[in-house]
Amino acid sequence: MPVRIGLLTEGGYPYVSGDARLWCDRLVRGLGQHEFDIYALSRSERQEDEGWLELPPQVNRVRTAPLWTAEDDGVTLGRRARRRFAENFEELAAVLCAGDGQAPEVADGVQGEPGEPSTDVADRFANALYGLAELARDEGGLVAALRSESAVRALERACRAPGALRTAREARVPELLTVAAHLERALRPLSLDWYEDDALGSVDLCHATAGGTAALPGLLARHFAGVPLLVTEYGVQLRTHYLASADAPPAVRALLAAFHGRLAAEIYRRATLITPGNSHTRRWQERCGADRTKLRTVYPGMEASRFAEVGEAPDGADPDTLVWVGRIEPAKDLISLLHAFADLRKEEPKARLRIVGAPSGIEGEAYLGHCRALAAQLFPDEADGVHAVGDNPVSFEEIGGPEAPTLAEVYAAGTVIVLSSVVEGFPLSLVEAMFCGRATVSTDVGAVVEVIGGTGLVVPPRNPRALAEACVSLLRDPARRERLGAAARARALELFTVEQNIEAFHGIYLEIVSHAPVRRVVLDEAGEPLPFAAPAEAHVPGRWTGPMARVVARGGPTWATGAPVRATTPLPTTEAAR
Amino acid sequence: MSGLGELDRPGTPGSAEAWDARSEEWLGGSGEPGAEGEAPRVKGEVPGELSAVGQGAGDVRGAVDRDEAVSVVGQGAGDARVAADRDEAVSVVGQGAGDARVAADRDEAVSVAGSDAYDTAPITAAPGPRAAGPEGDAEQPHPRTAPEPTSRATDRKPAPTRRGAADPVKALMHRHRELCERAVDPLEIAAGLEAHGVTDRTAARFRHRDVFALAEEMYARVPRDEAAAPPSDAVAAQPPRAGWAVLALLPGVLCAAAVIGVRLTDGRLRLTAAVVGVLAVALAVRIALGRGPLSNPPGTHAWRTPPGTRLWTYWLLAYALLGDGLLRAAADGGPDGLPTGLAGGPWPTATAPVLALTLACAPAAWCAHHFAVRAGRKLATSRGLEDFADSVRPLLLGTFALFLCALTALLALCGAALDEPAAYAQALTLGALLLLARLLTVHGFTHAPTLALGAAAATEAMALSLDLIGRLPGCGFLATPVETVLDSWGPGGIPALACGAAALTLLFHTTRTLTRASAHAPANEPR
Repeated sequence: MPVRIGLLTEGGYPYVSGDARLWCDRLVRGLGQHEFDIYALSRSERQEDEGWLELPPQVNRVRTAPLWTAEDDGVTLGRRARRRFAENFEELAAVLCAGDGQAPEVADGVQGEPGEPSTDVADRFANALYGLAELARDEGGLVAALRSESAVRALERACRAPGALRTAREARVPELLTVAAHLERALRPLSLDWYEDDALGSVDLCHATAGGTAALPGLLARHFAGVPLLVTEYGVQLRTHYLASADAPPAVRALLAAFHGRLAAEIYRRATLITPGNSHTRRWQERCGADRTKLRTVYPGMEASRFAEVGEAPDGADPDTLVWVGRIEPAKDLISLLHAFADLRKEEPKARLRIVGAPSGIEGEAYLGHCRALAAQLFPDEADGVHAVGDNPVSFEEIGGPEAPTLAEVYAAGTVIVLSSVVEGFPLSLVEAMFCGRATVSTDVGAVVEVIGGTGLVVPPRNPRALAEACVSLLRDPARRERLGAAARARALELFTVEQNIEAFHGIYLEIVSHAPVRRVVLDEAGEPLPFAAPAEAHVPGRWTGPMARVVARGGPTWATGAPVRATTPLPTTEAAR
Repeated sequence: MSGLGELDRPGTPGSAEAWDARSEEWLGGSGEPGAEGEAPRVKGEVPGELSAVGQGAGDVRGAVDRDEAVSVVGQGAGDARVAADRDEAVSVVGQGAGDARVAADRDEAVSVAGSDAYDTAPITAAPGPRAAGPEGDAEQPHPRTAPEPTSRATDRKPAPTRRGAADPVKALMHRHRELCERAVDPLEIAAGLEAHGVTDRTAARFRHRDVFALAEEMYARVPRDEAAAPPSDAVAAQPPRAGWAVLALLPGVLCAAAVIGVRLTDGRLRLTAAVVGVLAVALAVRIALGRGPLSNPPGTHAWRTPPGTRLWTYWLLAYALLGDGLLRAAADGGPDGLPTGLAGGPWPTATAPVLALTLACAPAAWCAHHFAVRAGRKLATSRGLEDFADSVRPLLLGTFALFLCALTALLALCGAALDEPAAYAQALTLGALLLLARLLTVHGFTHAPTLALGAAAATEAMALSLDLIGRLPGCGFLATPVETVLDSWGPGGIPALACGAAALTLLFHTTRTLTRASAHAPANEPR
């Protein structure tokens, strides 16, 4: 049975410069038996100008809306709508300022369950959010109202109210304005006209490709039309928010952190299933109140075919060569690697180290210069004899150079692949090395242990000596290298291929649809429901209940049976039928 | 590489040096048996040794390897079992998800540590951090260069305790002092710690289950002074841009040139000069309003000047130029010819007020700039919305009065220079109306200015048409109100009344809207 999936993205697919576009593209292309409707929020004008990726035929339609413009929708609320807005927004502001629902547990709850925001606070937040969403749906937009003075006033009152957060109490006018502007931006999906029955109301399930703002349309579609929501997070939006807003004043950070935290909790609460990309994301999600039974870790998939030749070929590595691959930046701790190599050279004088990668940004350039200087200092150039030209045992190369034509060949040339990061998310270069069937030594950071399992050596970060000894032990033992490499390749093929990723999502889609089918009531011309018009087991192209039948989501409001009437223009959305 | 890795990349530490100094402290806290409490050590028989440091509920079982030393550092609540035969020790850590099955070679001992927290047993193939000796050698370029490799036989002596390990969290807090003091909730500390490479296994060294628990302790222990931090009054001083100041002078200069041109020429040439002058001034005004403090905020479609406002403004200015003369001529039996652009003649034109108004673009721009800058400063320093409104209201009125003074002076100057009546009442009210309308438009309120300008223009048009219709037979009563005004104040009374009423209304509206903080919100969103 084909499933109709509403794919929700924010600053991602189908834009050329979007986040996670490769993953989404593979997912959509890999699941050709299903239908996809893409609902994309764009992040900047530049992103919109750069255009879209080429879309496969299973994409039925793409609707986009900008998150970046300060476009005023020109909706002026009437008196009653203004009062509704004020009530709901005040409630929202009060929830944000009300302090943390988990505060009491923090003091002693070292071993207790991860604190969940109290249900009271969560319910109040949800009520305020859905109240605003319903108002936006009735009135056609809330952009002007969210930017208005009454919103700022509501925020101020909430901050000055007794029992408000200590940091919120210190909020001054500029901070209030910043918070109001940010909230307006974050709540812009409320003003979209995506939740009607011809849009998100008609899909079988919503798949949000990230948390936060991207999942907000899915939350509203669930609220308005009962569409089940699947949330995939490869990085935690809340955590990104904390790191990105480090420079803001405390009051702004406190209020926005409260907003994003509560929004994440609400999304996790309402989502049918949540798929974190690794255990780190999973821990954050559990921390933010995600129910463990809803969590299914789905590892990101990587293209294995380009490493197949190297992985299956017999070991043709240069002897005694260590290879490091990645983007050169301070978090990779190449300094530590160079010191480890210095240690290693005392025992294996013939060893060579190849550092392959391009620096990222200005900081990376500076760091690369620093590393080159250190390498030159630690290792003088060496030559085979008095008549040969010397060379440094440490080389810095980039992919595409004469020594390193392709990534796969670089991995193939390495006797041992080394990873020396102090900070790491999901270590892609490690997975690539595993695909190539190389023995690896990595530092115990991020998701490294989760990725490598037992198929490589892991040492503590910032420990050059341990790194050196692990490398020496592998360099001296070809049989062990081979075994570890084979095991690593087997593990990677089992866990990190594109196929497993797509297959996992395919299964999850079917699971969700089987548990939460959207039962549609088909109406005849007189507006009476037609029994058995849409049997669950049949989904055929074209309509067989007559051209006049109208489809209304179960539980949809009565007015939705009529043709949609709109008094005002909604946010500008562009649509392209595919 | 695929873009997926980008998503989960934590932030990076600032510089290489910043964490170099820290690194050995972590290591110092990491593997010290003295600091860790229970540290079962299993001695090997012949040359090799297997030592395992199991923290928490670690269950360590070891078989001894003949050739190489294997050290297992199992932190957390996991079981770590290492089996080693003579060749090889491969340890496979089975995940809770139950998806790792690695087929083992025949001659290889594989032990599967099936722990639910699958990230608990990193295998180190080296004696590990316990061997870290003195560091910070002055000769060496890097403080972390390891000391001379000690022989394995001598590796058994306990590592020297480097630092008082009584309260490791305190040291960690000291290291992340800024992060802790700044944090608004524990999760922010957790995010910051993770960005600096602290993992759950690091947290286990501080006797915490995970980073979140560690962050909560740190958050709870940060001393917080109740006194509010002093507000940062750092208002970014914007570099003064002279561009708009020059452009604001352009309409006045062009208008003066046009007036001189009209006065010096005659016949067809005068008509040409007048038309060219009017077009040039209109263009100059648009340019002057397109930049600087009188311009609309960028990128806001809905805030653009609505066409109605523009139309009514043109009408009001045209009336100021020609209206009084027309009424006066009508009183004498109707204009007997087209306006000549001079004060005399059958249809006299009032060039002095219009010249003064175009010249007033410069003071208007300056006033708007002054108002925006001062209001921005007050915004940064006021504590509440009421405070802000109270402090902005006098500023607004003062700016308004300042503009009126400047306009009065310009009117007097132009009247004297052109040797014409200055028409203070009409020009001042019109100037006030236009300034207020522009201020409101600039701050995003476009509705009220259109209404006020439209009302003033309609009043003028109605007065004019009533006066003309009143001369038809039987319609004389229609012109009575106009006649009354004309009799008491002369032709200048009509625009003065129309614009004055509109300006007053708008002034009242302005004191209510432009004193709102939301009107002064910075509208610079990233595009």
